[in-house]
Amino acid sequence: MRASLFITCYNDTLYPETGRAVVALLERLGVEVSFEPRQTCCGQMHANTGFRPEAFSQARRFVNLYREVEHVVIPSSSCVAMMREQYPTIFDELGDEILRREFLALIPRVYELSEFLVDRLQALDVGAYFPHRVAYHASCHGLRQLELGDRPYRLLAKVRGMELAPLANSDRCCGFGGTFSVKNAEVSSAMLTTKLEDVLATRAEYLTGLDNSCLMHLGGAMHRQYAGMTTIHMAQILAATADSPAEAMA
Amino acid sequence: MTVSSSSREAILAAIRMGTATTAKEAGWLHEAYQGLPRTYHHAGSLESEACLSLLVERLREYGAEIAETTPQALPDAIAAQLASTGKRRFAAPAALSSDWLAPGFEWHVDNDLPTDEIEHCEGVLTGAAAAIADSGTIVLHHGPQEGRRLLTLLPDIHVCVLLASQVVETLPEYFRQCIAPPELVTWISGPSATADIEMTRIKGVHGPRSLHVILVHDN
Amino acid sequence: MTTAQPHAELDPRFAPPFPQAALTVLRNPQLRRNVAHAVDIIQAKRGRLVAEKDDWQQLRSAASAIRSHVLESLGAYLEEFEVRCTAAGGIVHWATDGEEARRIILDILRQEQASEVIKIKTMTSAEIQLNPFLESNGVRVHETDLAEIILQLGEEPPSHIVVPALHVNRSQVREIFARKMGLPELSDDPQILTAAARRYLREKFLTIPTAIGGANYLIAETGSVAVVESEGNGRMCLTLPRTLITLAGIEKVLPRFDDLEVFLQLLARSATGERMNPYTSLWTGTVKGDGPERFHVVLLDNGRSRILRRPVERQTLKCIRCAACMNSCPVYRQTGGHAYGSVYPGPIGAILTPQLQQLQHAQSLPFASSLCGACYEVCPVKINIPEVLLELRSQVTRQERSQARRFFDPLYLGLRLANFLFASPRRFHLAQRLGRIGARLFTRKDGWIHSLPSVGGKWTLTRDLRGLPDETFHEWWANRKKEAR
Repeated sequence: MRASLFITCYNDTLYPETGRAVVALLERLGVEVSFEPRQTCCGQMHANTGFRPEAFSQARRFVNLYREVEHVVIPSSSCVAMMREQYPTIFDELGDEILRREFLALIPRVYELSEFLVDRLQALDVGAYFPHRVAYHASCHGLRQLELGDRPYRLLAKVRGMELAPLANSDRCCGFGGTFSVKNAEVSSAMLTTKLEDVLATRAEYLTGLDNSCLMHLGGAMHRQYAGMTTIHMAQILAATADSPAEAMA
Repeated sequence: MTVSSSSREAILAAIRMGTATTAKEAGWLHEAYQGLPRTYHHAGSLESEACLSLLVERLREYGAEIAETTPQALPDAIAAQLASTGKRRFAAPAALSSDWLAPGFEWHVDNDLPTDEIEHCEGVLTGAAAAIADSGTIVLHHGPQEGRRLLTLLPDIHVCVLLASQVVETLPEYFRQCIAPPELVTWISGPSATADIEMTRIKGVHGPRSLHVILVHDN
Repeated sequence: MTTAQPHAELDPRFAPPFPQAALTVLRNPQLRRNVAHAVDIIQAKRGRLVAEKDDWQQLRSAASAIRSHVLESLGAYLEEFEVRCTAAGGIVHWATDGEEARRIILDILRQEQASEVIKIKTMTSAEIQLNPFLESNGVRVHETDLAEIILQLGEEPPSHIVVPALHVNRSQVREIFARKMGLPELSDDPQILTAAARRYLREKFLTIPTAIGGANYLIAETGSVAVVESEGNGRMCLTLPRTLITLAGIEKVLPRFDDLEVFLQLLARSATGERMNPYTSLWTGTVKGDGPERFHVVLLDNGRSRILRRPVERQTLKCIRCAACMNSCPVYRQTGGHAYGSVYPGPIGAILTPQLQQLQHAQSLPFASSLCGACYEVCPVKINIPEVLLELRSQVTRQERSQARRFFDPLYLGLRLANFLFASPRRFHLAQRLGRIGARLFTRKDGWIHSLPSVGGKWTLTRDLRGLPDETFHEWWANRKKEAR
């Protein structure tokens, strides 16, 4: 089983430990992991802010780089959602029929991390050990566009030593929304405060999720407020074992 | 040509620029309409007794009084319900059977009654066209047994005689049983209500504040 | 003819952009609490009823298909409606825009020598700013919905399309009624407040012979009109007056009477969390001996036919005005309706208002969303609001980026730069290295960035940012490969 890791532009720059955890996890599960060094970004930031033409070249680049691979694994629901929801229209508009067909052939082989683990590897127990109280944040893209459903919960349920605290109003948006977080910073912050009330009420040590984008927003506020909770991408929980615990965060 | 009719042409022309059909393509339209997906429930699943119980439950949920009776006992049931209101002045549509107009009450039969007189009635007695159990809805088509619309709007108490055979479980079943679309319909699913002040539900803003349903087991 | 504008904050031509308007309401704890309280209640009720309806998704599919079909054949259905309604005694007028609709209505009122009208709440009349126009032309308008009275007497703009006064609490209502109805002893018990409104309006219903209202549905097959309500003021206005004027957007039409079996199951559950609203009325033209002798329908275009031409945006017109989208919206929950600068707030407002304004105004609205998709999930007619938002963002950006002042907008510059960098891995990697160095300037001893300039400052308004790690993932990978050899 081979998988090529699309790390995403922001994980590459800001959360390389998430990428390291994905590699460690997949290799432990017997997957041969490769990494295409020419990757950059999926184009979501541009497409969602109205800069559609700019997203075209990034979409094209993605297909050119990955057309031959067996699987692409992406530790970010929003990037996968971008490819499934918006790339079809982008490739229609680009007018390159060959590229469009290549995209359509590629997209079924593109997986968000929890989808790859549960659907493709059929691995629920990945041998993880993380003895902490944890709450899980379901990002909107994962929840509504990818319909991840109970995959993350089933994976977390098998993590030894871990206690999953239920989160109230779990389907309510945290307020990140990409450039919304700066274009409408005040409203984004109001939504963040509301979300944080429910998150902190879980009395968890860690807030986890499948998107570092939401976690960056929530974790950034936790840090600002000396909240006594921190964020960690689920890849890092799943990669953690007794011998190699998760890399220290903040 | 009036201003309005040239606007009519302008609007229809603008619509045509964005759509596929015109009035002339009626055949296509009908086919497209028939092909629309309708996989929702077209009928309920309850037996008639359970259906009637459901209706009674829903009516009670929104504070309606329900009395059950037989066709033979109907006039007595009506008299009892009217008496229970403690009121005397009742309006009624002209076509109501005279044995429904219980003695001991002041009847204002609607043979073109002035609005003022209806306004001063304390209640009204009518029949109904149908009822939908699922939502606790009483349906009036304002035929001769139900009276014109303001008759069931102005008085504060509505006593409504409903036959069990008029009750269906779901809304699609109601539409199925309409032989032709009625000219006038009022669907009543509770006393008037507002939640406009702090989302606190207050009943009886306009329209009757009390509903008494006499369910006649005619099956 | 002059038109007064009492609520500039809801006029898209004059309203401040969303981020600015939102700031004002975010600092109003009472309004925020009232809004959150209201939407949470409706959402909870809706959720329970939807859970008990096992054909809910099928109903949504049918409703979406019927509405799309109507839009595809709108001209034909409108013509059919006109023929049937006219045959039943109604008079049908066509108005290309708000100004024409107002004029048509005023002409009818002049013919009737009406100096006062009673009115059922209709969003469409607010869209065309009918009330101030009539008032300034000597016609007194009496709103009859409780919320509308509260707003009219209190001179407040609406903030929700189904529960317009949800931002007002009971003591505020008490104060308004006491003052305007001359009832200084009035308590703030909602029951008593409502009774006061009932008495106040009764006299108007019984004496004013002209009414103006809207329509939830126009039925093409029969020429009928359906109005869905809770209070009963609709029934009063539809049956007591001598003359009734119904104002309806051209998109309100449904093909057949039977189609109501779908929409009447969806609307109340979506709008107020009830299986069925208290009163739904349907009438056909004029009926001898029952209700108005004269009935007019004013069909309003006002930009709808233009929206119809747009392939992605056309779905906006499927809307049945249930407000489920705003009840589910996490943004609306924080700001209420006033921040949207339009009579149509929330997610539907964010896509409808800019389109009705031909993107000349309200350009900030498509960005007033985190794209969470909750609205699409609850929309009974399956309008993919996020999809339309993205399309409108594209159009606004296309419009704006050609403007000189936008060229130096830091966000625009940042995005252009990012695109330039993403186009080449070497550029990207170089930028990452430079960024790492630059970020050190802002990184404090705890390894986090607490404050950034310019656009970055919007992030650090309320959030810290962890300092850039010493090694990117791809650098780590490259080193690992080297070490492995």
